[in-house]
Amino acid sequence: MTLASSLTRQSIVAAAALLGLHVTAAAAADKPVPPVAVTVTDKGCVPASLTVPAGRTAFRIKNDSRRALEWEILQGVTVVAERENILPGFAQTLTATLAAGDYQMTCGLLSNPKGTLTVAAGTQEAGAAFPNLAKPIAAYRVYVLSEVDALVTATAAFTEAVKAGKLDEARRLYAPARVHYERIEPIAELFNDLDGSIDARADDFEKKEQDPTWTGFHRLEKALFADKTTGGLDEIADKLAADTVELRKRLDELELPVKNVVGGPAELIEEVASKKISGEEDRYSHADLWDFQANIDGAQQIYGLLKPLLVAQNGKLVSRIDGNFTKVDATLAKYKVGDGFKSYDALTAPDKNALKRSITALAEDLSKLRGTLGVD
Amino acid sequence: MRGFGGPGRRGLLMGLGAAGSALAARAATLPDDRPADAEEGDSTQERQPFYARHQSGITTPQPAAALVAAFDVLAEDRAELEQLFRLLTERCAFLTQGGAVTPLDPKLPPLDSGVLGPRVFPDNLTVTAAVGSSLFDDRFGLEDARPRRLVAMTGHPNDALDAEVCHGDLLLQFNANTAETNIHALRDILKTMPEQMSLRWKMEGFLPPHTVKKQGRDTVRNLMGFKDGTANLDPRDGALMDRNVWVQPGSDEPAWAVGGSYQAVRLIRMMVERWDRTPLQEQETIFGRDKSEGAPLGMGREHDEPDYAADPAGVRIPRDAHIRLANPRTEDTQSSLILRRAFNYSRGLTKAGQLDMGLLFVCFQADLEKGFLAVQERLNGEPLEEYIKPFGGGYFFALPGVLSQDDFLGRALLAG
Repeated sequence: MTLASSLTRQSIVAAAALLGLHVTAAAAADKPVPPVAVTVTDKGCVPASLTVPAGRTAFRIKNDSRRALEWEILQGVTVVAERENILPGFAQTLTATLAAGDYQMTCGLLSNPKGTLTVAAGTQEAGAAFPNLAKPIAAYRVYVLSEVDALVTATAAFTEAVKAGKLDEARRLYAPARVHYERIEPIAELFNDLDGSIDARADDFEKKEQDPTWTGFHRLEKALFADKTTGGLDEIADKLAADTVELRKRLDELELPVKNVVGGPAELIEEVASKKISGEEDRYSHADLWDFQANIDGAQQIYGLLKPLLVAQNGKLVSRIDGNFTKVDATLAKYKVGDGFKSYDALTAPDKNALKRSITALAEDLSKLRGTLGVD
Repeated sequence: MRGFGGPGRRGLLMGLGAAGSALAARAATLPDDRPADAEEGDSTQERQPFYARHQSGITTPQPAAALVAAFDVLAEDRAELEQLFRLLTERCAFLTQGGAVTPLDPKLPPLDSGVLGPRVFPDNLTVTAAVGSSLFDDRFGLEDARPRRLVAMTGHPNDALDAEVCHGDLLLQFNANTAETNIHALRDILKTMPEQMSLRWKMEGFLPPHTVKKQGRDTVRNLMGFKDGTANLDPRDGALMDRNVWVQPGSDEPAWAVGGSYQAVRLIRMMVERWDRTPLQEQETIFGRDKSEGAPLGMGREHDEPDYAADPAGVRIPRDAHIRLANPRTEDTQSSLILRRAFNYSRGLTKAGQLDMGLLFVCFQADLEKGFLAVQERLNGEPLEEYIKPFGGGYFFALPGVLSQDDFLGRALLAG
């Protein structure tokens, strides 16, 4: 399992539905936007209808009615934001971060008509609150979907070989299938249940390798490389293949959360720093360098798409990141064999230290991407 | 106060013959070397009571050092188990109150490790004994005496439990002003009772002494840099402790358990490097508190009470913020209030060369299901999980206290 994103399936689906809710322009923090004024009288809200852009908006609510007031923003029956106990004659400010959509405002007495609040984003597309991120995110989505397609195909071939009892072929197909998962890990692991069943390591279970609930790539890896058998694996092989199909289905339906995309490179590098650098991910096959490169590829993919925006913000950051990616790629290249990599055991101590140095520096720099681009 | 000469030692001393007796006699005539006017602020002489209705180390003030050790009980029958508890009681009574160590013939290994010097000082030591569900298997005929809610810890969704640091028949929680005092006590017990129990796992923890001194006024920060335990129950509130911490007469628990408490121990690693690379506002959103003051988000002071009813959508404090899930402050979650007694831990590196540090979480409650398990149930899936990984610990039942010198830990349990 990865440094598990804790989001459950339900919560990520909900997060996708509310996409944009947690997205705020950094500019908002630096240059406060003037608040939108609403006055509540004994008859209702003035104006009774408002339109604001998606993202963070400050509402200045003035109570011109004769009684203490509770002002709420509703979506259906859900209270999205509220300010309580505004006394007559007083005004208070409420700041809310809103996704595009139709909302209502309560306006004093329950018998008063509710006001309408329209949050406009032009489009429901991912990154709508960040017009400049819409393009890179759309491009990244294409990458994610093509990788998950490749994952489904390669995993099917791998698991077929396991079921057919072709030990050597299955061992050969193991690492090449996994890389497609590792490349899109920041998005794939949003589905906590699937991340567990596809990519968990024995360490995640109390009974370790003996744990009957352990499934996925690493469970098969142990059988193929440590136990050197394909026997009795049909069920686990079928489940892994089915899990990748389910993952594709969910990714098809998922609007990529901006935060996870922009935070993706950092996520991938954290994964490398905490697991791959130690060779504990693929302890039976020693195929760690495949995963290592796949995480780096995945990080560079997103980073490359965001780079034009980053250059404008912080050129020094960009050149440091570029430099460290180049160093990591160069070190890994020494261990390339054909389309793949030598065993993790071949990694020399100096090269391991060189990787560690660049990876840690990358982790520090990439952790600033979200803040630099104003995504929280 | 008895020194080293309890029943367990008597046989050994007698075996020494005349020379041993002579030495023992000399020891008895040595002047008390305790300074007549102990310096003001000499914390080595601070003591917690040993004979009381409840064990110390639960509601007594939390000192700066902790050591939690879980044991497999090696006693083979109920009589041997009783011996274990009698000897353990005797050692704890001595260690927590202090006293002179009996010197032996230098040709023999000394009775005491000497870590605290020739005269054992109390140093605020408490040793709190708790039993695990495995003690109630068929070895001692205690199957029917098991506290109703005592079960073996099972993994929660974010756990990666390691069997090597989980569970145990018996748990001893050592708390003292200094780590050496805990270590001294542990070594004394290991040396005294090799046939009765063997160490299964241990974990040491610490708190900053400067904050511990201000207990009740200031809150310790955890290793993520956040104040942790602000809303903890006040252990000085006896009625509250009776309600939420101590098993009461008339409950559905076995009669022997009255005055005891369920103890949950969780070893929780924090991914601190990664945490330190997380934007401040995200850190604060995850906890629901501001980092510098410790105030609930949107409020000014640490002890301000968040008004969740006024923030149903989680605009100020997200609905899945740690403090909001841990303590939603509603009428029907009052029963899940637990008494936390957590410490920080730090111990070397992971295989990847990252820091292995986090929280030695300990909490006490009268009902494990309504307490820790209900809280953990609410926390499952919280965003904080991305930065923490529980990997060990267990559920135990802290025995009722020892009332007098005629009493011993577990007496009521074994009498049943």
